Amino acid sequence: MRKKKGQMKIQQMAFMLIAVTLFFALVGMFFLTVVFSEIKQSAELLEERDALLLVSKLSNSPEFSCGDAFGTSKTNCIDGDKVMALKKNEARYLGFWGVNKIEIKKSYPSGSRVECNSNNYPDCDSFKIESSSTETDSGVGVSNFVALCRKENFEGKIENKCEMARVVVYYGE
Amino acid sequence: MIKNKKGQEEMVGFALIIILVAIAMLFFLGFYVRSDRTEGAESYEAESFIQTSLQYTTECGNFLGRFDVQRLLSECADNSLCGDGKDSCDVLNSTLKELVDSSWNVGPDRPIRGYDFVVNSGGRELIFLKGGNETGNFRGSSQVLPEGIEIFFRAYYIN
Repeated sequence: MRKKKGQMKIQQMAFMLIAVTLFFALVGMFFLTVVFSEIKQSAELLEERDALLLVSKLSNSPEFSCGDAFGTSKTNCIDGDKVMALKKNEARYLGFWGVNKIEIKKSYPSGSRVECNSNNYPDCDSFKIESSSTETDSGVGVSNFVALCRKENFEGKIENKCEMARVVVYYGE
Repeated sequence: MIKNKKGQEEMVGFALIIILVAIAMLFFLGFYVRSDRTEGAESYEAESFIQTSLQYTTECGNFLGRFDVQRLLSECADNSLCGDGKDSCDVLNSTLKELVDSSWNVGPDRPIRGYDFVVNSGGRELIFLKGGNETGNFRGSSQVLPEGIEIFFRAYYIN
């Protein structure tokens, strides 16, 4: 009788321990979910910031940037005429920026989706600059908005013309 | 009788633990939800979109040349007309709408579900653009120009 009572006590305690452990495990899982979602969010933000910094570094480099050619100094502004000059000397810049490829795509106004060359510029929509000696489409692509500016003859006057574009930089692998 | 009382005491103890942990969870949840509204709303992409939009050359201008969006915002705040007689705010509204629509792929089956683009000047709303649907997951940016013009852009992402 005494033995049975002791067994009952042990059983009761075991059930209690299981219940408490399960409860705290559930609470722990809830906290972990919240903490991990925060980590994921900050990782996304960091990734976005890295992309912006890489694209900003490229678009503000002397080979691309508008400088003071379009009035006041502008950030995230690419000179289309400079890019055309760069395209002619593409081979000299292989491996210079440490990325695989740089693409500049006009997003507004966009129409023909034609790649720019010396014959169709400025009536075109995208520039492709191979920056790696191995011609590859692989690698991580990050992008950001830039203003694509050029000098334009408008009603007999030379004016600044800036359009909306995206710079896509492929790197890695 | 004693056995029954002991069992009741254990149950009360367990209930107390559950209540205490639940209160702690509620506090944590409340704090988390409140902090989430102010943080995580920043977007570098939205910030660079606003900056780039300000440089876009519009179709509105005067005898000196065409205005960029930043200048057109000032013209609109002053209720000025373009050189060709068009209302500067109308040109600004259509230009910004086309800029946002072509730069952000918004749709019910896309990662970005909607957007808000608001421009205020001296307490007056100059531009209010809205596309798609609002969700609880949003990121955006704002910019204040020297003339007291405030620009707010917010993109709503899939939940």
